[in-house]
Amino acid sequence: MSGQNHEHHHHVSTAGQLWAIATGLIILTIVTVVVAKFVPIPAPFDVVAAISIALVKAFLVAAFFMNLYWDTKFNAMLLIMGVAFFLLMVLITLLDTMFRNDIVPSF
Amino acid sequence: MANHSTSHPTHVQHHFVDSDQQFDSAKLGMWVFLVNEILFFGGLFCAYIVYRAWHPELFTQAATELNAFWGAVNTVVLIGSSLTVAMAIRSVQKNQIKGLKINLLITIALAVVFMVVKGFEYAHKFELGILPGELYTYEGIEHAQAAIFFSIYYMMTGIHALHVIIGIGLMWWIYVRANRGEFSSEYYTPVEITGLYWHLVDLIWIFLFPLLYLIE
Repeated sequence: MSGQNHEHHHHVSTAGQLWAIATGLIILTIVTVVVAKFVPIPAPFDVVAAISIALVKAFLVAAFFMNLYWDTKFNAMLLIMGVAFFLLMVLITLLDTMFRNDIVPSF
Repeated sequence: MANHSTSHPTHVQHHFVDSDQQFDSAKLGMWVFLVNEILFFGGLFCAYIVYRAWHPELFTQAATELNAFWGAVNTVVLIGSSLTVAMAIRSVQKNQIKGLKINLLITIALAVVFMVVKGFEYAHKFELGILPGELYTYEGIEHAQAAIFFSIYYMMTGIHALHVIIGIGLMWWIYVRANRGEFSSEYYTPVEITGLYWHLVDLIWIFLFPLLYLIE
């Protein structure tokens, strides 16, 4: 650990890289709006399309703005586990709510 | 080894081996917090999914009251602010403190723009009587559960907006500390982890925008 200057192993993105990611995110935002407003996709695939584009955007932010691409794999694992437990929460909740005979009336 | 502390830079606390270990520990701690945030918002997304599965037609009707144009403007504003935060971190990594401060100020300005747009959106809905829960009096949507959509809308966007306000405070705190000359390429941990927080706020909005504003 001695003799190493720590700034040499922190990743420093170039300004060009950061601008490219931001431009990509804005283009994908335009794609989301165009697909939602002007492309007739039958439900539920319109939601699938919107979420798919959002996931690509989320990947760009997490990998290149939050630096997970260059970071220790452990931090990426934390994020993936967080998302996995979120999906588990949704799945278990839907196993209840989608199979009720009667929805609670005021809900 | 007893006197090892003499070789440490002043910002390294005594329980860390070196500056790198301190930086990585702080970042790990922030990621654990961000996972907690994801699960916190996850509960709200879960409520959204349950209600949309129950009342798909309510979501199509009610979403017409949301202005996709201003939602898209705010999306671009937040992406811009994520860029300036990333630029702020790049600046401090290269020891350019002036660049750090300028990028922090632009980030704060963009966050304020986001809040102003959100404020106008909320004010417009309040005028129409589109309020959360029992306060809902709007009669423009023919659906018995119309208030529920807007309760979910206000809860999700409101807690997100609270995160933006906290983010403005954190950004200002980083700016003040940068002004005092506390940061350099050797030590910028608070800039890095505040940046991570801000990117998460952007990430949440990336999902909120299509799920609330773009339902056709």
